[in-house]
Amino acid sequence: MIIETENLTKRYKRYKKQEGLAGSIKGLFHREYEEKIAVADFDICVKEGEFVGLIGPNGAGKTTLVKMLTGIIAPTSGRIQVMGFYPNKLENAFKQQYAVVMGQKSQLFFELTAEDTLKLFKEIYRIPENEYKRDKEFFVDLFQVQELMNVQVRTLSLGERMKLELMASLLHNPKILFLDEPTIGLDAVASKQIRTFLKDVNESRGTTILLTSHYMEDIKVLCKRSIVVNHGRKIYDGDTDLLFERYQKSKRMTIYFEHSAEPDVPEYCRVLEKTDDKLVLETSKQNVEKVLESYIGHYPIRDIGIEDEDIGSVVERIYKGV
Amino acid sequence: MKNNFKFIKELIKLRLSHIMTFRLGFFGPFFINTSYFLVQLFAFEAIYGHVDNIRGWGHGEILIFIGTFSLIDSINMVICFFGVISIPEKIQTGELDLYLTKPVNPLLRITFEKVDPGAVPLLLFSTCIIGYGVKESGMHLSYANIMGYLVMVLLMTILFYDMELLLRCFAFFVFSVNNLMKIEDTAMDLCMKIPGIAFYGIYKFIFYCILPYGVIATLPTQALTGALSAKGLIFGAAIVCIFTCIALSFWTYGVHRYESASS
Repeated sequence: MIIETENLTKRYKRYKKQEGLAGSIKGLFHREYEEKIAVADFDICVKEGEFVGLIGPNGAGKTTLVKMLTGIIAPTSGRIQVMGFYPNKLENAFKQQYAVVMGQKSQLFFELTAEDTLKLFKEIYRIPENEYKRDKEFFVDLFQVQELMNVQVRTLSLGERMKLELMASLLHNPKILFLDEPTIGLDAVASKQIRTFLKDVNESRGTTILLTSHYMEDIKVLCKRSIVVNHGRKIYDGDTDLLFERYQKSKRMTIYFEHSAEPDVPEYCRVLEKTDDKLVLETSKQNVEKVLESYIGHYPIRDIGIEDEDIGSVVERIYKGV
Repeated sequence: MKNNFKFIKELIKLRLSHIMTFRLGFFGPFFINTSYFLVQLFAFEAIYGHVDNIRGWGHGEILIFIGTFSLIDSINMVICFFGVISIPEKIQTGELDLYLTKPVNPLLRITFEKVDPGAVPLLLFSTCIIGYGVKESGMHLSYANIMGYLVMVLLMTILFYDMELLLRCFAFFVFSVNNLMKIEDTAMDLCMKIPGIAFYGIYKFIFYCILPYGVIATLPTQALTGALSAKGLIFGAAIVCIFTCIALSFWTYGVHRYESASS
């Protein structure tokens, strides 16, 4: 196993402040603390070459887990080993073998070019000159970023920047790639490109990838195995297709009308939003076709959008076991 | 070690490229630092122009003292000041995460990542003042004195860095280190103007052992003028070793207690 944890737990102690000035004064002399369990008794085993999705709502503990696996923070208790190392010892031999990309934190120098950052990374990871040139060319071709290499990073779009972030992270050929929300804020086209690259890297280089994401599409397309986290606990660990088949039961349909309309709503649909020219419904996956039939041709429709249920609803359903 | 040098070289090259992206950002600090230095010099002259002697130190020795403090401060500014002062912000915003995940000492990277060529003129001015002080005092310098002085400047530059780092490492444990920075500023301001030999009793203990800014320019000045005793030399070396150990241990302890910032 390349990643293995057992009863991994991270607790934070936080000051419970009473409201108002009186509460603040009282807090100077007598403080009450509450314990926040970010990750609780977490067991996870990841094999080399796996592409695992880590999903859960905000505050579920995904990022905390990634931070423990990369050694950024120390666990409160439990056992953890990544490639045979205890991450929080922060040994260079360990850090040499993984990479982490955080969607909200950039490792590129904004005022300089990506080429400049890569040169620094070459020294950080001690990549021999010939390997550096070979791998850089490989990734430049893969990500199609020839024209972006000598452009100031700050002038690039978010999608372009993410490609370069990934390239910088993969240059030293890490065994494990931790990705924390890599598609956050990206448009559909850029997200799709990033997903294609990640799949390619996983398949062609055998890089083990642990991906945390809010976006169901990322997980569905990329990860054979998914782990669902809620309140710091693992509530599902298994096949991704099975997860969505079993727990993602509804679709969200948004129907835009040409002009103001008063459409009938089928009884098997739940109305989420209704305005003069827009209707947002939730219905089971099986009923989508029936809903389309009941509207198309009967009402002047401008557009229809069909989306998967959000992650929160799926987690809630797993949690309740329904 | 060789790899670290290559890494530092690349880091400095990047920093210089970065600063040169903005012309005003590159040339501006030369003027600002020079003006700051001149203001300090005038303030010093206003104070010491009418004082003949401080515990055996004449005008020449005082000039050497001021020049030495400025020299050490400038070396610090050129090499590591802007990197080290960014530590609290890196801790509070979680930016330190990215440093901890790279196979290079994060402190080494932070120390050398923001070199500032804008303070280079200060090095030259400081050297001129030291030269003028030597001339003013009419002393004859021996090679031993010059070597002793250079060694002491090196040690005190390390001590200066230790203090800077030590105070900023508190950011691992407290919400804000602003008040500690005020103490640092006040102590430095005082010790930049008053030589350590002028302190007595509790003040001497504080500025020699607790916040040892009092020795920063005093010991090198004593080394250059031949007034540094063996006891003073040992004390200087010991205080640097002690504070280096404390600062690095505190940093390591802080890194392992680091909780990162919420995403």
